[in-house]
Amino acid sequence: MSFLAPWFLAGAALAAAGVVALHFLAFQRPRPAVLPTARFLPDRPARAASPARRPRDLLLLALRVLLVLLVGAAFARPVPAPRRRPVARVVALDQSRAVADVAAARDSARGLLAEGDVLVAFDSAARVVDGAATDSLRPAAARGSLSAALVAALRTAPALRERADSVELVLVSPLAAEEVDAATASLRALWRGRARLVRVGGVADTAPPARALAVRAPAADPVLAAAALARPLADTARVRVVRGAPVAADSVWARAGGALVHWPAAGERPAWSRARVDTSGAVVTGSGSVVAAFERRWAPPAGRAVAWWADGEPAATETPLGGGCVRHVAVVVPEVGDVALAPSFRRLLDAVAGRCGGERDLRPLADVRWLGGAGPLYAPPAPEVASAGARLARWLFLAALAVALAELALRRGEGRP
Amino acid sequence: MTADSRRPLPSSLFPPSSQYGSLLDALRGVHWPARRAVPHGATGAHHSRTRGSSAEFTEYRNYRQGDDPRRIDWKLLARSDRAYIRLATDRAVLPTALVVDASASMHFPAGDGGKWAQARRLAVGLAAVAHRDGDPVGLTVVAGGGTRRLTARTRRGVVAEVARTLDETTPGGAPALAAAVTAAAHSAARVAVISDFLGDEDALLAAGRQCLAAGGELYAVHVVAREELEPAQLGVLAADPEDAAVRRPLVEGSVAEYRDAFAAWRERLARAWRDAGGVYAMVTDGEPAERAVRRVVAPGAPAAARGAVG
Repeated sequence: MSFLAPWFLAGAALAAAGVVALHFLAFQRPRPAVLPTARFLPDRPARAASPARRPRDLLLLALRVLLVLLVGAAFARPVPAPRRRPVARVVALDQSRAVADVAAARDSARGLLAEGDVLVAFDSAARVVDGAATDSLRPAAARGSLSAALVAALRTAPALRERADSVELVLVSPLAAEEVDAATASLRALWRGRARLVRVGGVADTAPPARALAVRAPAADPVLAAAALARPLADTARVRVVRGAPVAADSVWARAGGALVHWPAAGERPAWSRARVDTSGAVVTGSGSVVAAFERRWAPPAGRAVAWWADGEPAATETPLGGGCVRHVAVVVPEVGDVALAPSFRRLLDAVAGRCGGERDLRPLADVRWLGGAGPLYAPPAPEVASAGARLARWLFLAALAVALAELALRRGEGRP
Repeated sequence: MTADSRRPLPSSLFPPSSQYGSLLDALRGVHWPARRAVPHGATGAHHSRTRGSSAEFTEYRNYRQGDDPRRIDWKLLARSDRAYIRLATDRAVLPTALVVDASASMHFPAGDGGKWAQARRLAVGLAAVAHRDGDPVGLTVVAGGGTRRLTARTRRGVVAEVARTLDETTPGGAPALAAAVTAAAHSAARVAVISDFLGDEDALLAAGRQCLAAGGELYAVHVVAREELEPAQLGVLAADPEDAAVRRPLVEGSVAEYRDAFAAWRERLARAWRDAGGVYAMVTDGEPAERAVRRVVAPGAPAAARGAVG
């Protein structure tokens, strides 16, 4: 407990001392005695002050001193001072597919955590984990996102500001390249202090990125044209785009580890047609969007979304199949016009024609100084204690009022003026 | 003074332990004469305003037409050949009413003594003296709990009845005396008010003036406690028993002022009663009652001699 205006408290203490001193002055009211001719006495005050050895009316004295101190304490604007420590930590633990040994990362995080610290586990999303639930963290197949971890840390930090002077962000992660996106740097800049980077072992990705494409489509197919512009075409490619109904050999090929992209042609009627046909103004992927009036005839089967319509409905999904996967693309490519030739469409093609599970870039970031930062730790603004202080002052005033009423009742009860 | 008046009271009228025995003995032979001729009434001890045919000869007067021929002094007519009427002074009784104040202020100091005890002794003494003169004696006791009245009578035992009524009364409250005085003046030509006059002082004086204007006699017996004259208990909050609003400190510094104010009030009171034609006598609670009674009933004594004020 501290006081924003302690001089009021000092004043109250002085006033209380004055009250005690006044109680040593005995304002004695003489005992009544009957005198029928009292009317002939001069009408003078019936009380006379005289010093006394002991204070009189101890209960009244206690109430009055309490009243003065309560009012003084209320005016002194008390604020509750929580127990604070110099540094609290927000430990962001990576459990994404980039981590080679999540258990080792978990142990590293546990060694950093102290009571009152916060653990944020993240892969593509982040969540605050109770310290006792650390053992339950399991490796995830999802791509890690440092942006998600930073957002979670930024949201958590205000809760720590009442417990610590500074907050240290600790990133326990292999810091793979795929975990950084366009928002990461901006989000890192919002954390106004240095971060501690604890690099754990990452997965070594030996598979080369899927560059070549195998496309089975009519000669004038717009997707084939876009693919030819975007990627090298080869029948031996690990990604096969089928414009039309896949055949059994395609499924066998996919089971063997290939990525089969089933992208029906405009006149085709796949089993996953929509009941109601409409249009959507854009298709969105993680790397961009294609803006055009797309006819929406199909709804891809449930699976990992790879592309979305403008309203958030999946436009392309991926389902695992043996060692590979099948992607269903529900985007009707207009055969008239040059939509398929636009760079944005090529990015859509890259998104849907990647390797199973999406493209990976598990190489560790070479330069992470920007992520660690420099300078002091993040010192969040002092917690707003004024409201708590005002609440406390209100209670003190209420208590003072109650004491004043009790004092009044006591005086009335004793027949004092 | 007659032989009958010196006769001791029958012991059956008062119990042997009566507190009034010695008082009544001491007052034996004391008379309470009327201050002026009394109205015509039953034959009594006081000079009447009317002249009649009693044995106490006064003078002769020429016979006038209309006089009763039986009142003509025939022997004088025979000797002087003139008709004279023999005149004699009539004597009549003087009905006496005692109005006793039994308000709370009379119960001071509390205990056996004090103003109320003195007032009772004075009332019994005056009743005994009046009764012994053959006057009808009545009593009105005005207390907070109510007013008790005894009709004026001359029969035996009336003094004991007066004493019993007073003994049965407990002072209290703040009753008004004026109405009782007015009522008493209707039935008695002599009214004696025994009070401390701390109640309805002005109304009481007005009622007394009416009584005096009607030809009656009025005695104001002012009972004062010695402790009222000289307060001994200092350092207290003096409270008026009849007015809760009056609570004033009685301290050493205020005693002199109190004494002066009280004396001035008594002086004003005495002057007011005397100017009205009444008899004022102040009696303290320490004064022997028989002496006070003698002082009150002393015939023809100047008013100032009947009781020093202050």
